[in-house]
Amino acid sequence: MRLSRSNSLILSLPWLVTFILFWLFPLLYSLIMGFSDYRLLATDFDWIGWDNYRELAADDNFLSALKNTFVFVLGTIPVTTVIALALALFVSRGFKGRGLFRAGFFLPSVTSMVVIALIFTNLYQRGGYIALLARFAGLSPPEHGFLFDRATALYSIMAMDVWMSVGYYMLIFLAGLKAIPDELYEAAELNGAGWWRRFWSITLPLLRPVALFIIVINSIKSFQVFVEIFVMTKGKFDTATAVYFIYEQGLQTQFRFGYASAAAYLLFVIIAMFSIVQFVLLRRRRALW
Amino acid sequence: MFRICLLTLLALIVTGSHVAAKTTIEWWQFWTDPSVKPTIRAIVDDFEKANPDIEVKLTDLTWANGHEKIVIALASGTGPDVLELGSDWIAQFAATGHLRDLSEHLSPDSNESQGYGMATYEGRLYAKPWILGTRVMFANRDLLTRAGYNPEFAPATLDQFKQAAFKITALDKEIYGWGSNAAEKHRLYKKYLPFFWSQGAQIFTDDKRYCVLSSDKAIKALQLYKELHDSCGYVANQRGIEDAFLDGKIGFLISGDWLLKRIELEQRNINLVSTLFPGLKFPGRSFQGGEFLAVNAASDQAEAAMKLIDFVTSPEAQVRFCKANRSANPSSKQAQQDDYFQTNLHLQTFIKQMSMVRHPPVDPDWVYIENAIEEAVEEALFGSGLPAEALRQARQKIAELKQK
Repeated sequence: MRLSRSNSLILSLPWLVTFILFWLFPLLYSLIMGFSDYRLLATDFDWIGWDNYRELAADDNFLSALKNTFVFVLGTIPVTTVIALALALFVSRGFKGRGLFRAGFFLPSVTSMVVIALIFTNLYQRGGYIALLARFAGLSPPEHGFLFDRATALYSIMAMDVWMSVGYYMLIFLAGLKAIPDELYEAAELNGAGWWRRFWSITLPLLRPVALFIIVINSIKSFQVFVEIFVMTKGKFDTATAVYFIYEQGLQTQFRFGYASAAAYLLFVIIAMFSIVQFVLLRRRRALW
Repeated sequence: MFRICLLTLLALIVTGSHVAAKTTIEWWQFWTDPSVKPTIRAIVDDFEKANPDIEVKLTDLTWANGHEKIVIALASGTGPDVLELGSDWIAQFAATGHLRDLSEHLSPDSNESQGYGMATYEGRLYAKPWILGTRVMFANRDLLTRAGYNPEFAPATLDQFKQAAFKITALDKEIYGWGSNAAEKHRLYKKYLPFFWSQGAQIFTDDKRYCVLSSDKAIKALQLYKELHDSCGYVANQRGIEDAFLDGKIGFLISGDWLLKRIELEQRNINLVSTLFPGLKFPGRSFQGGEFLAVNAASDQAEAAMKLIDFVTSPEAQVRFCKANRSANPSSKQAQQDDYFQTNLHLQTFIKQMSMVRHPPVDPDWVYIENAIEEAVEEALFGSGLPAEALRQARQKIAELKQK
């Protein structure tokens, strides 16, 4: 049965209204606010053109937050992707108890980020298990704990994020692996290709669309990292990221909604550009292969 | 049958009109702790009994996001009739016209109540002090004795304190002289400011025109704080420091009355000394903050709201609250005379300290200023910046803000 155009519209109305009211309108409104000096509690505001963007370009705190965000993205994406792929390859093999491994790796992804962040805050503290493990391995952990040291705080949060994310991306890689026809491997094996050759010439090229999806999705998620920072360090010890900066400006210190909106749109542009670059690079490499 | 129906109808009308005549006011408050909330509820119940025409709707906030909720509610022109506010927020909401001016209703008398200074913005009063808070110095008597001090010793000056902290640190590798806060938001500055004020430093000049955060006295205070942090400090968050202190690993720490509550509830066995914060001369100046009750400017039930505020801040209600929460600093001086406070030496320390305190400037931009100070302290303690340079940068940030 075909739905008429008016019926389709009526049926999609609940979603459409929600989308316009709670997504489109705030998005456009915040874009406009980015050109004003609007503060949440103020009764009036002025249009200030590009001033917010100019101020952001010279704001040390914003630049530091951007730097931290890039460190986070560039540090976690390759590690997460490689480990997720390795885990997918591991659990795709037929061995006893692989279901248990799959569930175990995936479990952190379905646990609340706040809960995990609180647990890791304890693990990272002075005298915590991670400090003990580091000592056991002959390393000297930071004296006051991993999160109370500028040299280790951000990297500790990144490590936790990798641990939490790999299970989810492992599952996506696993689906990609299942979609690769067995005939290709059989043919390669008949031609004398070893494991590494099969992986390099069959698995990797055919997993490229999945890898692209994972890298883009994970990049967008990592650019928006917030909860971990909020729970574990409140942006202290050089861990403030771009979204944390936006939160601070908009809802913590001076309620500068205009300034925070401008920062949010700047981040949006950066994410969009980063995603486009990823698409172009990965597609070009696929063409080469 | 007709009579019964008529009577029922009449009864409904009478009850309905009675309900309709009731004024409902809403109070947003932060005391959600299971040991305190029933007392808040009981105080409100008593208020409703004393004022049968007023009904109070109680809403709980948390410290994690209460401030944001209040800001958003006030900005949208809604919000409750009565608000519990931290002292740091009053100027912010008063400056933007979101709090009712209570100057006509309140008559501040320092003989009756403390804390009005924190609720006064540009000469007008915007909130009533309820439960105040300060920080005192706690010490572990056993560690002091082990370090060679006699049992009556408590440091009177900053020099004596520093010396004692160093001696305690020298006792053992696992013993620290001083509990030094990590860069905790909204907390670190409260630990530095007692040193700052006790050196005689100020954030602004008396006429409030210039920021003098990087004065020689301020630098000296931060240098001392850094020296303690680097040489004797057990660095952790507040909870971690208190854990280590109660485990006998730390000689001195600055803390509030919640530590006494914790010791009592957890039945911790510690040979505790509480003393006024030391200064260049005894005593120094500690930090003052507190909880205030204010009326939303958009409320159309201001009279009923003020009745509730007066009831909740009455000396009797304050004593009830302090007993439930083990709070040491009711704003009412009459409440402070209650046996509960008079017979407890540690609570007496808090009450004495409250007369030797400073509070942050009542400034709408305080949250930003606080952040700048915290960043300076964090940079000096955990970064590579020297105290003088870190404070100079913070002063510059604050001065730029004030120029805008």
